[in-house]
Amino acid sequence: MLRQSLIGFGVVIVAASGTLAKKEPAVEAAAARQKQLALVRVNVTGQSYDYFRPWQKKAPFSKRALGAVLSKGRVLVTADLVTNQNYVELERAESGEKTAANVQVIDYEANLALLEPAEKTFLDGITPLEITPDTVVGDRLAAWQLEPTGALLATEGLVTTVQMTTYPIDVGQFLTYRISIPMQYRENSYTVPLVKNNKLAGLLLRYDSRSQLLDAIPAPVITHFLKEAESKNYRGFPSAGFSFFPTRDPQLREFSGEKGKAGGVYVTNVEPGTPAMKADLQVGDIVTAVANNEIDQNGNYVDPLYGKIEFTNLLTAHAYAGDVVPFHIQRNGKPMQLNVTLEHRDAKDYVSPPYYLDQPPRYYVVGGLIFQELSRQYLKEWGLNWQREAPQRLVYLDHFQSELFPQRNRRVVILSQVLPANGTIGYDDLAYLTVTRVNGKEIKSLDDLAEAVKQPIEGFIKIETEEDPKQIELDATQVAAEAPELQENYGISSLQRLQ
Amino acid sequence: MKRVLIAIFVALLLSPILDAQQSTPAPPPLEPQVPQRPGPWRSSPPAQEVVPVPVPIAPPKPNGPVQRSLVRITATAIQPDYRAPWNAGALERGVGAGFVISGNRILTNAHVVANSRYLTVERDGDPNKYPATVQFIANDCDLALITVPAPDFFKNMLPLKFGGIPTLESTVSAYGYPIGGERMSVTTGIVSRIDFQLYTHSSVDQHLAIQISAQINPGNSGGPVMQDGKVVGVAFQGYSGDVAQGVAYMIPTPVINRFLKDISNGHYDEYPDLAITYAKLQNPAQRRFLGLKDDDHGVLVSSVVAAGPSDGILRQGDVLLTIDGHPIASDANVELEGERAQFEEVVERKFKGDSVKFDILRDKQPMTVTINLYKPWPYSVQGHSYDVRPRYVLYGGLLFQPLSLDMLEAYRTTDLRLRHFFEYFILDQIYLQHPDVIVLSNILPDPINTYLAPYRGGIVDEVNGKKVRTLDELANAFAGAPERLVIRMIGDGPPLVLDRNKVEGARERIKMRYNVSKEQNLDASSELAQANKI
Repeated sequence: MLRQSLIGFGVVIVAASGTLAKKEPAVEAAAARQKQLALVRVNVTGQSYDYFRPWQKKAPFSKRALGAVLSKGRVLVTADLVTNQNYVELERAESGEKTAANVQVIDYEANLALLEPAEKTFLDGITPLEITPDTVVGDRLAAWQLEPTGALLATEGLVTTVQMTTYPIDVGQFLTYRISIPMQYRENSYTVPLVKNNKLAGLLLRYDSRSQLLDAIPAPVITHFLKEAESKNYRGFPSAGFSFFPTRDPQLREFSGEKGKAGGVYVTNVEPGTPAMKADLQVGDIVTAVANNEIDQNGNYVDPLYGKIEFTNLLTAHAYAGDVVPFHIQRNGKPMQLNVTLEHRDAKDYVSPPYYLDQPPRYYVVGGLIFQELSRQYLKEWGLNWQREAPQRLVYLDHFQSELFPQRNRRVVILSQVLPANGTIGYDDLAYLTVTRVNGKEIKSLDDLAEAVKQPIEGFIKIETEEDPKQIELDATQVAAEAPELQENYGISSLQRLQ
Repeated sequence: MKRVLIAIFVALLLSPILDAQQSTPAPPPLEPQVPQRPGPWRSSPPAQEVVPVPVPIAPPKPNGPVQRSLVRITATAIQPDYRAPWNAGALERGVGAGFVISGNRILTNAHVVANSRYLTVERDGDPNKYPATVQFIANDCDLALITVPAPDFFKNMLPLKFGGIPTLESTVSAYGYPIGGERMSVTTGIVSRIDFQLYTHSSVDQHLAIQISAQINPGNSGGPVMQDGKVVGVAFQGYSGDVAQGVAYMIPTPVINRFLKDISNGHYDEYPDLAITYAKLQNPAQRRFLGLKDDDHGVLVSSVVAAGPSDGILRQGDVLLTIDGHPIASDANVELEGERAQFEEVVERKFKGDSVKFDILRDKQPMTVTINLYKPWPYSVQGHSYDVRPRYVLYGGLLFQPLSLDMLEAYRTTDLRLRHFFEYFILDQIYLQHPDVIVLSNILPDPINTYLAPYRGGIVDEVNGKKVRTLDELANAFAGAPERLVIRMIGDGPPLVLDRNKVEGARERIKMRYNVSKEQNLDASSELAQANKI
């Protein structure tokens, strides 16, 4: 699949130059001042898990943000605001009154979350924001922020592009509005609502202060999220499970039996177990239409609102898990129709899960050797540049996981670190090794490892690794005897977490 | 010789100190780099105390008229252009030093004369520039021998003699033609450290090197480092000033003597290598598991490279107990002439065709094995090449090149798959399936390939259903192409489809437009290989 490049990271907003005194949209601001703003401050304290010391959490962080008040007493924020939260608090902008809040639903992939105040009456008197789904290129949207006084700070920007991009959790592509806007820094500039005619049009996803370009999670994605959130079991956004390539090259077109100037994309990979595989989509097929929308050679269909946009939009914003979507394809030059029943692919259905949030990492400590399962979350411990800075072999395994582990019914167990102890003398420098066998048994998960460790061979625990040194042995009796001291020395509350 | 994989960027820490005085363009400034944590496979970092042979401390004697031995070498070199491999490459000029040794020969660094097309030498008190020729070049230990055909050149020159390994803290003087003036320069310092170091000229070889505190700068390369009137080393590399100050290295005499002995048969055979990786055996439980006594001896064989001399003789899990009768300690050191050194030092002193004997423990049973040494070829992919033309095939404007350190550096690629194939070329035995990792490295735009840009950086797996293992096989596949060529790359991408007639029709056009003199070069042989045989 062709990926769009991200511009700018995070949502840190640096003060704008201040040379432009933007004229506020008069009607909008006046109307907003009349009644209680449909904005609340959201104060979050949280702690993320420490993957290098997986039994503990990192030092607490706090974030201040805004939430958009929606109907039925719900407050919409981005998911990354409340990820790994310990405590969420809502604060009325005009009075400073506070109440605790719960996270009702969270979708990390679409980066959206719904909060509900503990006190049901807390949002009384606020007219909730309606959602307007019809923003198009050329529209002007206002970013709503709050002054320290509680007054509205509205900045207007122009929607320049509507396109599919990757969100911070890099799973699939989502519709995004790109807005050219000179935003100013305010304390709560985390989840900033974007408003058109007093209706919610989007939510800030990322902002690059240098280019003054803002990417917003658009109303269609929000609406999809809210509709799913109504149901008892939140399922998330659907996907089909194949990758594709444009058919612009006439030589490739001819090879795949395409004639003339017809459109369509070339299927390069169909992942096992996915809806595409179940519907018998095959590598080499040309997908010519999805949900009865014709696709051009680049993979775009003509959307009534946005014009040409990538067809994946038809599978995310417009469809739900369980929907049956007709795919028109050409196979060896013959037209066919396949009906693809879309599903949401859960993070746990990956060999190396793309995210693992709000839940403690699994680990297993044996005599100072710390074992964990590979996940992108683990690699992200190396910071923003994790793709360059994390151990390259692990980045490679994560990146090419669908190619390397097509059956995907496994995890990659790694020897993450070694805590120096009497039993691990000589092993101190080992780190980031992938475990193949323990006591002769093949290891495909931490559970396998936990089982295998219990069956030493002649008193030894033998660990085999893909990389050098290939084999490590521990004395099983010594491991058991020294466990309490190890826990005491390194402050390890528990030697394992397999839940 | 111990070889380790070094990430490309780490190698930039050190640089050979070829002159910047006249070279055009000047080499890019070296960026300070944080040394990376060594990869997990490198369980045995180089030993810290290696072969300091005690020399009785004598009062420093004058070194004599070194001017009568020293020469200034001006090299005009062509650096191959891996991005346009049909071009001759960039012309560079550099100045280094050299010194006369017995047999009318001049010893210098390989990096002073590598890739050179024209050499001249000058000497003190003589206005003439003498053309010179390279006799032998050893890129794996950064040494070269050149000679001057002019009959009278060596008449008034004084050949220098070699000493041993100087003791720590003893004073040495470095001679050469460094930046800052035209005439000979002398700097003095002490011996700071004796250890194995990466030789950055090849950037894949490690040998003994001596760190000295004498200032050495671009232009010192190849010059003698003297003590008591004898050569104790050849100045060759150092850290750039913004990484570390006053850290300079010289090639010590054991490495020099080995080089001179190696070429005595008229051919430089390079260092042989066991081509194994090993782990220290310091864990008591592991020692008991392997059936070892509690005597601090033995190292564990981790990997055996199939293309190396140990393949089929050693295997993973073997414990190496002695090498040529020297007991191997559990930290991989042996005692040689009263000093501790890494056990590979035993192999370092040997030559191609020599053998080495190990007492080993396999499945708790003692055994003795003998390994006939040679240099395994896959390592050359991970090091710099010199005096060879880049290999490539250009077809339909698509440039195919085998993966190598030089090629990776030329393209500064960050592609995850390419980097993986490079770094694990040996350890994951990738070379067995892909002796050449053939990369579609560049595309010269033409109407026939205008939509093919997304294939750039791909690794060729098969052509028309047939696996392609080498660049020659690819060239053959193109030469005998049917009407349609379907090239599959490694991974999930689409096939690359080419219409032979269209490619044929575009050949002359592409050659003209991009000034391509030659559409392929498959010859891997070194231009100097023949010269060496003379």
